[in-house]
This record gives sequence, structure tokens and C-alpha cells, in this order.
Amino acid sequence: MSVIAPNFKLSGFIKSIIDDAVWFLLIFSLIGFPVIMMVLFYIPMPVIDGELLTPFLAFTYLADPTRTLPIVQAFMTTDMFKVMAFPGFGFAALLAAGTIFVERKMLAKLQLRVGPFYCGKVEGILQLAGDGLKLISKEIIIPAKADKPIFWAAPVLFVASAAAFVALIPVAPGWVVADVDMGLLAVFAVIGFFPIVTILSAWSANSKFPFIGGIRALFQMVSFEIPLILSLLGVVMVTGTLNLSEIAASQSSFPWIVFLPVGAIVFFITMLAELERIPFDLPEAESEIVAGWLTELSGMMYGLVQLGTYLKLYAFAALFVVLFLGGWNGPMIVPPFPMELATEGIELGPVTAKIGGLEPILSQVITQEMINGTLMFVLKTVGVIFFILLPRGVFPRIRIDMLLSLGWTKLIGLAFVNIFIALALVYAGVLGPGGLQ
Amino acid sequence: MADAVFLALTVITIGSAIAALEMRSLIYGSIALMGTLGGIAGFFFILDAPFVALFQLAVYVGSIAVLILFTVMLVKRELIFKKIEDRKRKFAGIGLMLIIMVSLGAVFLDSGIKTITTDEPAVDFRDIGTDFVTYYWPALILMGLILAGSVTGALVLARREDVENDQRVS
Repeated sequence: MSVIAPNFKLSGFIKSIIDDAVWFLLIFSLIGFPVIMMVLFYIPMPVIDGELLTPFLAFTYLADPTRTLPIVQAFMTTDMFKVMAFPGFGFAALLAAGTIFVERKMLAKLQLRVGPFYCGKVEGILQLAGDGLKLISKEIIIPAKADKPIFWAAPVLFVASAAAFVALIPVAPGWVVADVDMGLLAVFAVIGFFPIVTILSAWSANSKFPFIGGIRALFQMVSFEIPLILSLLGVVMVTGTLNLSEIAASQSSFPWIVFLPVGAIVFFITMLAELERIPFDLPEAESEIVAGWLTELSGMMYGLVQLGTYLKLYAFAALFVVLFLGGWNGPMIVPPFPMELATEGIELGPVTAKIGGLEPILSQVITQEMINGTLMFVLKTVGVIFFILLPRGVFPRIRIDMLLSLGWTKLIGLAFVNIFIALALVYAGVLGPGGLQ
Repeated sequence: MADAVFLALTVITIGSAIAALEMRSLIYGSIALMGTLGGIAGFFFILDAPFVALFQLAVYVGSIAVLILFTVMLVKRELIFKKIEDRKRKFAGIGLMLIIMVSLGAVFLDSGIKTITTDEPAVDFRDIGTDFVTYYWPALILMGLILAGSVTGALVLARREDVENDQRVS
């Protein structure tokens, strides 16, 4: 009889768990807890209701929602929350994960397949978690002749560049990680890092397929950066600002795609090329060069690159929304929260349930405007992502010379046409001072 | 705070510049060159010129350094360069560099740079644009012509005569 673990003993298993727990408690109480206290000593804690928040006070707050909600509110206004959770990494990673699942299912339906089906009861909804666990638990194999420092650093740098890109995207009014005055220029600067990371990763693997893929990626990204930058100049001209939040706010009446459709089309095509998506997926053309510049990456290194790719996809779609589709602007469809529930409480017969501290958090942080803006933004972004995914089920891959001639001749020409349209709109007085806006 | 940032940037910039020259591996040398250019972008940031800094990042780190990297990767170094290396040349180089740096530093210190006040507000990029198209327009036109000339020259050089017409992309 074959069993998976022939020497398994329940008592040994329990003993090992107890051993681990004891060691954990010992090390945590001797090293971990003092380290946490030392770190907390240097972090400026918020003052809540006239009291400085100390760790001991925080424990007493746990039991009382009227005292916990102000802490939540204080936390939601910190930079750390913005970077990690809402407009930053967590939000983007959630959308990216959703994108991966929708892409697989939608592609399958387009090709009359079923797609992920068995993980999770409903339509394979847990497939993504399964893939993630698989990638984390796999061994990371480094090629023997690879240039190890660069090879290790490249996936991390890729995710870091993508996260820097995500940080520049304004999601709702005031909800942006880095509100830079030169936001669009910062976007161009960040986009410039992707080809470097790609070619370094490809070169350091010291293998043929990654190198060919990397060279292709470099060709493609560098040559499509030029029409990308040119196609966005029209928006800068009609708005007169480079700040992404101001550009989004300037579209309260109509989105710029109405006036600058050529620029939007050029930007969308260059976006597909920058994201290496079909029909421009030459850098990882799986039927020619295995997986292109990703060939030698294994385990979680591949997972990191995939995460970075989809973060980048979200960021580009969001940039399209912010620049051409009006960002968070849209009809107010979220009903106002009944404030009297927060101020006066819920009356259930003789009992009145009132949660203190709910009113400031609803009127200052999670406002109706913010929820509606986020909803509008997410709806539009999901729509753009859908249109980015769609060509994968429709078009074949094109040749590299067709790609380069498309980028260098047609798209740059169209981008200049777009610039002249923008100039004409501004000088004719349709837009800008004295015009519609 | 600004001093610490300044010192760190100085160390990064000069250190990676030396590394870019001294590294045996050309790839690492060009990565170090990126560090230098990025450090210079950092200097522009602490000089309140984010416009120039971001262009430094986008153009120099994002494009020029990539082109250098690209060229280096496609070149077999051993076929082109012959190493001539001895201690005399090395020390002569270091001495020459020290002399140049000391004399340049003396020139800078002597030029009255200490009397410049630095509390003026940062220049808006719209002002730079206005200046470019009003007062400095000849320089702008000249730059445009030079760039157009170089692009045309590159296109002429890159044009291949041996490609048949039906091989071209229509």
C-alpha cells in the first residue's frame, strides 16, 4: 500500500507544532516585541480626542467602537494607508487580480472553451489563489551562467516601477498617493524605466530566448514611447496643466475624448504596445521564442513579473480614464448616506442603537463624493481594461517590421495631427479661456 | 535634512560616475552611468526644478542610458578594444583628475557663487515655455533645426538600398 507519508505519526506532528509555537513565542517575546516597541517609539502616533495614541491605549480601544472609529479615521488619512491600501498598491493589485481572472474566462468564452473551472465551486473562481500558491511554493531556479545580482533584482524592480506608476493615478478627488505638479511628466519618466528593467532581466539570464525577447521589448517600448508622449500633449495643451488630478477635474462637463479622439486612439494603440499585449506581444511570443524575456524566470520571480505586468495594465487603463474619459467625473448615482443614522442612531422600538464616531468619518473621509468618484473611476477603468483584453481573442500577432513602421510613421503622424487639433481648438476659442471651459 | 539628501546624492552621483569608468563589466558600467544621471536628476529636484529633473529622468535615464545599454549588449568588447594598462597611466590619470577638480573648484569658489541668494520661488514651467517662445525664440528655432537635421541624417543613414520594394511594409 502506498501512502503519501509512510512515517507519519500524529504525536510527532503535534509535538512539532508545539515546538514551533514555543520557539515562536520565545523569539517573539525576547526579540520581536522589543523591536516593535522600539520602532513604535520613533513613529509619530496620532492624537485622538486629545489623547496621544499609545499601544496600550490602542488595546483598550479594541472593545469600544466609539473609540475605535476615530483611530480608523486617523489611519485612513495617513500616507501609509494611501500607499498600501486604497488608491495605491492594494486597490490596484485587487483590480489586477480581477483582470487576470476575467481575462482567462473571457478568452475561453471567446474561443468556445470553458476556462478555469474546478478551483472553487463557482466557475473556477479560486483558480487565481491556486496559481498564486503554486507560484509561491515553487522552487526558484537561477540559470548557472546568469548574472545573479541583476537577475534577482529585475523582477523586484519591475514591480517597483509598476507600483510607482500606480502611485501617480488619482482615483477620487483628493485620493491620490503622490499628487505631483508634474504628474504627467513623472508618468513619462516612470514609463522609461520599464525597458531598462526588461532588457537587464533579459540580458542577465544569459540565454537565447530571453535575449531575443528583451531586444524586441526594447525596440517596441522605446519606439512606442514617442507617439505615446506626443499623443498626450494635446490634453496638456487644452488643460494647461500637467497635474493629473487637475486634468481629471477639468473634465467635469465633457471628457477630452470628445475633442481629441485621434489622440485617444493613438494613445490606446501605443498602450497596447507598451503593455506587450496581443497584437503587439512580440517580446513574449510564446509560439516563436518560448516565453520571450520571461523564459528563465521561475517560481515567484515569474509571479512578481506577472503582478507588475497587470499593475502596469491597470495603471495604463487608469491613465487613459484620467486623461480622456473624465477620471472620477460622472453622474452621482450613489445615494447620500442617511446621516441621521450616524448622528441620532437607529431606533428599534424602545432601543436606540447609536455608534459614536461614525459621523466624522462619513462626513470627512468616506464621503458620498469619494464613493461615487471611485465607483465611476472603477467602472470606466474596467471598461478600458476590457477593451485592452479584447484584441487577444481577436487579432493575430504582427511582424516586428510592421510594428516598427506603424509606430514610427503612422502613429507619430497621427499624434502630430492630434496636437494640431488641440492647438486649433485652443486658438479658435472653443476651449481654454473664453471658451467652453 | 536637505544637507543629508545632498550628501547622499553627491556620494551616489560621484561614486557611480567613478564606478562607470572603472567597472570591468560594460553592463555594470552603464548601470552605474544610470546611477550618475539619476543622481543629477536628484540634484535638480533639490534645486526646486522638478521639470528639468523629470526630463533628466525621462530622457537621460529612460532613453540615452537605454541606448548605451543596448549598444553595449550587442557589441563584443574584445574585438574592438585593446587594453593598455599600467600603473603609471593609472596614477597619471588620477593626478590629472585631481588637478582639474581642484582648479575647477577654485574657479567656482572665486566666481562669487556664495553671494547668490537662494530664497527665490521655483520657476514655473509655463514661464519657461513663455520665455522660450518670446525672448529665446532664435535658440528654440536653432535647436529645432539641429534636431530635424539629425533625425533626417539618421533616416538617410538607416535607409537600406538592398531591400526590395515588395519586402517593405506598405
